[in-house]
Formats: sequence, structure tokens, C-alpha cells
Amino acid sequence: MLPEARLTPYPQPDCRPLDGIRVLDMTTAVAGPVATTLLGALGAEVLRIETPWAKPRNPASALPYRGTGPDEPWNREPRQNELGHSKRSLALNLTTKAGREIFLDLVERSDVVLENFSPRVMGNFGLEWDALRERNPEIIHVSMPAFGNSGPWRDRISYGPGIDAMSGMSWLTGYADGSPLKPGNFYCDQNAGLSAALSTIAALMARGRVGGQTVELAMLEGELQLIGDAMIGQQLSGREPTRIGNEHSSAAPHGVYPAGPLLSDPDSWIAIVCRTDDEWNGLVAVWCNETVARDRRFATGLRRWRHRVELDQLLADWTTGLDPIHLTERLQDAGVPASPVMGARALLRDEQVSARQSVGGLKHPQVGLSPAPQAAFRLSRTPAPPKNAAPLFAVDTIPVLEEILGYSKARISELLNSGAVSDRLVER
Amino acid sequence: MTEPEPEHSAGPLDGFRAIEYSETPAGAYCGRLLAGLGASVTIVESAPGTPLRRRGPFRADIPDSEAGASHLHLNRRKDSVRLELASAAGRRLLDHLLSEADILVCDVDRRRWDELDMDPVAIRKRHPELQVCAITPYGLEGPKSEWRAAELTLYAAGGYLRIGGEPDREPVKAWGDQGHYQAGLQAALGTVAALYADSGGQLIDTAMVEAVAFLLGGGYQHAWFSDREPVRNGARLVGFGPGHLYPSTIRPCRDGWVHSHCNNRYPEAMAVLFDEPQLAEPELLANLMGHADEVDDLMAPLLLATPRREVVRRAQELRIPFTEVLAPSEVLADADGHHASRDFWQSTPHPRGGDFLAPGPAVRFGRTKWIEGDAPRLGQHNERLGTPDQRVRWRRAGVA
Repeated sequence: MLPEARLTPYPQPDCRPLDGIRVLDMTTAVAGPVATTLLGALGAEVLRIETPWAKPRNPASALPYRGTGPDEPWNREPRQNELGHSKRSLALNLTTKAGREIFLDLVERSDVVLENFSPRVMGNFGLEWDALRERNPEIIHVSMPAFGNSGPWRDRISYGPGIDAMSGMSWLTGYADGSPLKPGNFYCDQNAGLSAALSTIAALMARGRVGGQTVELAMLEGELQLIGDAMIGQQLSGREPTRIGNEHSSAAPHGVYPAGPLLSDPDSWIAIVCRTDDEWNGLVAVWCNETVARDRRFATGLRRWRHRVELDQLLADWTTGLDPIHLTERLQDAGVPASPVMGARALLRDEQVSARQSVGGLKHPQVGLSPAPQAAFRLSRTPAPPKNAAPLFAVDTIPVLEEILGYSKARISELLNSGAVSDRLVER
Repeated sequence: MTEPEPEHSAGPLDGFRAIEYSETPAGAYCGRLLAGLGASVTIVESAPGTPLRRRGPFRADIPDSEAGASHLHLNRRKDSVRLELASAAGRRLLDHLLSEADILVCDVDRRRWDELDMDPVAIRKRHPELQVCAITPYGLEGPKSEWRAAELTLYAAGGYLRIGGEPDREPVKAWGDQGHYQAGLQAALGTVAALYADSGGQLIDTAMVEAVAFLLGGGYQHAWFSDREPVRNGARLVGFGPGHLYPSTIRPCRDGWVHSHCNNRYPEAMAVLFDEPQLAEPELLANLMGHADEVDDLMAPLLLATPRREVVRRAQELRIPFTEVLAPSEVLADADGHHASRDFWQSTPHPRGGDFLAPGPAVRFGRTKWIEGDAPRLGQHNERLGTPDQRVRWRRAGVA
């Protein structure tokens, strides 16, 4: 039995690795926002630049209101909660001269501009690299185009799942007898976001030597790193790699087997892998199946692999109906790599997730405690858990203009009236 | 007129030295990223070399520890030092290497820490200025820290396996070692953040399963706020309600598959692309995901009659983000010359003669460089260790 779902608020450390760094976040969709949430958690002050009218006022996906202040459905989108944490929010109309000028004032006082527009958009705003560098030679401009800032596909548009198709990742992923599949919902985006955060810090490391610079992370080229072995393997063997589902090229059993319900959900499975004789012996010991133990078809690793279809069937007959958590514990005790096929619900109840606070809570003023996974590393001296829940829309517009840019109250009021900036969602 | 950028041949991490002892693609990909970013990375290998060397495919299917696909990919631009860590002298030599390094990347099974003198906490005590990046399946602490894992079980434990595949079949994982690669990427991010923090040596305790669990992203929102779990959805996006945009899916066409994706701003453009007015019906547009089967049926006649390239060309002209599903050989063939125009694929010498193409830069810097190089032969850089006399002694003693 799993306990109730738990969420502990993240502790807030005194110092983080990127303290003192300011990032102007112009990102959209998934890949860019993943990069900037990571930089925010690592300590950078991330200023998310929003378009004053960019959000629907009543999104269908809005979470229930659980706050004390105003009821604003546009501040309760799960996607915004997921991708907006550890940032501040200001609304700026970049299509106005005054809005562009405010942005460039911020560039002077920032370290990084990070965007994932298609390549022509920054130029359309008049915010290409030369314009940024003129105002701040130390600025780092990170772009995350789908295909790259050059080449015949430069102006093609695609989201992450479309890049999975172009990289070969989708072609490789799927059942042996099925069509290509996505490698996950937004796998390419997550990879690009993490890679962009890494590259941004690398450029900050080099700033003392070379000053500011551009950093271009083409999502397609980022993903091709993840299947370089398939690409090289295809050339060495002369054979196209094929989809193999959950199978392994030489080990068996290596699969996912039906199990008894997990959290009352009948869509429940257990993953079991034996790569060595020791692991196989561990499995057989837990299985307590003398027929299988004596079956010559399964006597060696190679034989088990050759007879993997029969072996998988026998294993599935055994695991069906067994509690996946209890069975996993027994297999792990016997030295066999195994795991229930967890979902987010089970992870929020998992003792290891809880012990390491792999997923913690952030207090949001309108939805209450909101979950966010932290990065997979723990830094012993400068921890970097998520910092704050997604900010309310444009909540930091006035504080940023006052504190960072030192604008007078009169000037701010003028900018608000002209529509160059906004401290709230504007209808359009 | 853009001013020409001054030439810089070094990577952003130029001058940093890393020692890598890895047994899985996680440590190796972490080292690969650090090497590409300009750090000098040395892999320490005991005979018969890192397990990556035993992974195929190989040329003509003949196993070759210098020329397997994983080694040729993940160990590029690294040096190799062969040290027998089973001997005390070998472990002393490793300790000497660590005393001159900035970073240690290690993903070795914790059951072998004592044998190899690789306990990350003990190493930190001996080398307080060293960044010690320890990559383990479940992290260094917690009730499951001793649990074993393989790529498939990591995918299961991290919650990402559950969302892959068809709703009426078993879940299916992404191709290859994506869990390990993501762990390596996260480890590299943590390590470079620790270097930047400049707060002395740190322990970078990286859990592979957390690298997978991180990918679930919005899944935790659904689980926490509504105690719901998204259901596998084939090639379609997972976890979105009937009002979400559709398609984002993979559909068959005349000569293969295309990734079909609706234009987020002008979903009615699909009606033009498919010459099918029903695709712009208000009732359909209001609930696209809820009508996914119907949308698939409406797209089918044109898709099945048209080659991939042509479908994608027409869609992109209308600013609809369709893309082709390409096989690895087609990616390498680069029919449109996109990769060639960006100098992406790097012609790399094969250790037994001839060349192959390896992926080029993961990232391009304006003033520093992503650095390429070849994978090392086992022990290729042992000459860096000690004096010639010492090397002769070590070789005789079977240490290095």
C-alpha cells in the first residue's frame, strides 16, 4: 500500500550557483521555458517577458481557485505552473518603440537574453544580436531555433515532437511490429531546455575571456547527440536500426509484464531485466518455478535471448495479478533490476521521491501548493531547488521598472498609460 | 553590417580538467558534453576497457573494442589512461590524477566503490577542491539508494515509460539509452553550475531515475490537483483534454510517415492544406483532440496519395509545422543539404581505416567553440603518467 500523496515545500537556501545573474526570458512553448526554470532554480533572477494580451482570460484547463486574493483563471493554468516557476513576470509590448527601449535598458543590466523564437522574430523586433551587443558587450544571447539559424530549413517551423520525427528518434521508437512513435510528450524540448541551460552557464564561464557572445542551440542538433550511436551504428553495420520496443539486443528477459493494480489502476505493469546469470538466478529464486529453473531453453544468456518470446509469456503468466511494489522489492532484494511502471500519482507517494524531495511544493497564491520536480542533481554547497511558484501575470512589471531600471513613478505611469508596459492582463 | 567575430579556438570550459570513470552511457555522455565544451577529459579504464567498448554495432559485425558505435560516439575528444584499479598502486595513480583535476565524473556501481576506492564521499575528503559528480540509479541516499537499475527499469521507475505506447498494449520506452543520456546531461549541468559557483569542491549527487522523472513535467500537476494519470495515446500527445489542439501525431502517407501538427495560431489552415472544409468546422475546431479519429480520417486521403516530402513542403508553405519521419540513413543522406550547409556531420576516421560521420556540435558559440575529436584507443594517453622509468615499472607490475 502506498501512503497519501505528499508534497513538502522546498527549503530555500541562502546561496545558489547563479546568484547575481539576471536572465531576460523571452521563451515560448516548452523547450525555452524549461531552460529558464532551470536557470532560475540555479539562482539566476529570471525576468519573464510577457506580451500584455498573450493569455486567454478563461482557459479551459484552469485549476480550481484556492487562494485569498483576486480570482484570476489565467493565473491558474497547469502548464504555466509547470513551466513558469522560479521566475518573475513583467508584461512588455515589444512592438512599441518605448517597449523596445525598456527591453534594451534591461539588456544593459542583464547577463543573458534567452529566446526560442523562429530565427526571424528577434530581427522583426529590432532586437538582433548587434542591437543587444551595442547596449551590452557582455550580454549572452541564447537562441533555441528548431532547425538552426542557418541552412535550408532555417525558416521551417516545428515544435519538439516534429523534431523527434526529423532526427530519426521517432523512427527508432516503438513496438517491433508497430509504427514510429514519439519518444515522450515533449522529449526533444526537455533535452533542448537542459542543454540550453548547460550552454548558458558555459558561456558565462567564458565571459571573462571573450566577453558576451551568441549561443545557438538548434533543437534538432541537440537531439541528434542522443542517438549518435544509432547513426554511427547504421554506418558501421550497413543496416538500418529497427524498432525493438522494450527488448534488448542481447539480454532477456528484458520487458514489461502485467501486474496487479497500482493505486487501484488496472493499467499496471512491472519492468524486469536480467543481463547476467546472477540476475537470472535471482529472478528464478523469487519465481520459485522449478520447471523454468530446469528448462534448458533458459540455461544460458544466449538461450534465454533466443527463446525470449516463450520466456516473456511464462513471466507474464506469473506476474499477472501480483502486487508490483511488493514483487519489485523481492526482486531487488534478490539482485534483479526491476521496478513498477510508476506514474506521477505513484511518484508523489514514493518513499525515495519523498526522501530526496525529487518533487517538492511551491506555494502559489491562487492554487495553493503546486508540485515541481527538481533537477536530478543535488549540489552539496550551493543547492538549487525550485525557487518560487509561477508568478502571477505581470506582477513584477512595476517593481522591475522601479528597482532594476530606476524609472520614476511619473515615467512608469506614462508607460502604463501608453500600453508599452502593463501590470495586468490586457484584453484585446 | 555585422562586425566579424574574432577567432577563438578554445571551448568555454577550456583549461578545466576532468577525470571520468564510467561504466554506462550516463557518465560517458556527461564527459562527452564536458569535452565538447572544451574541458580536457580523461577516461580511466581498467582492462578490458570501459563496457561501452563492448557495445555494437561493429563494422562487419566483428567485435572490436576500439570501434563500437557507442565508444566512437560517446568517447570522442577524450583521452584514455589504462590503470588497473584492482591494485593499490593503480588506485594511488588515480588519486594522483585526481589531485591535478577539477572534476571527477563517476557512475560506477556502488557495490564496487570499496574495491575501486571510488566512494564519492571519501574522495571528497581527500580532494576538497574537486567537483565530484556521482551518478547513481537512485541517488546516494534514501531507502532505494541501493536498488539496481537498467535503462528499462529507470524508465519505469521515473514514470516516463507509462506514457509511451498504445493504450491497449504494454507501455513502450523510447529507443536506446535515453534515461542514461538524460542523467548524463543533468550531471553535466550540475557540474558546470558547481564550477561556476566557485564555492570550492562540491558533491554533485545525480540520480538517474530523477533525470527520467524530470521529463514528466506537467504530469505532476494532473496527479496532484486531480489525482489523474494520463493515458498512453499512441503517437498522439498525452494528457490533454478534448479542447486541446490536434493533430500532433504521426500518420502514414504514401511513402512512409509524417509528423502532422496543427498550426497553433490558425488551425483552420488545415482545411486549406487538405482541401477539406470539414477541418474548419467550428464544432471540430472547438474540440480538436476530442475529434482526433475524425481528423485522422479527414487527413488520410491526401496523405496516403502524397509522398512525405511533398506533404511537408505544402504544409510548411502554409506555415503548418508538418515534418517528415526520417530513418537514420535518411537523416544521414541529408536530401535537402541542411546538415551539410551547417557543417553538422563530422567526417571522423575509423580506427581500422576509412571514415564515418559523427554528430557535430550540440551547441554553437559565437566566440568560443564546441570542440570535436576522435575516440581514444585504450590506454592511448598513458605516456602522460609519470616518468619513462616509472612507466616501465608500472607496466611490468601490471598497474598501468
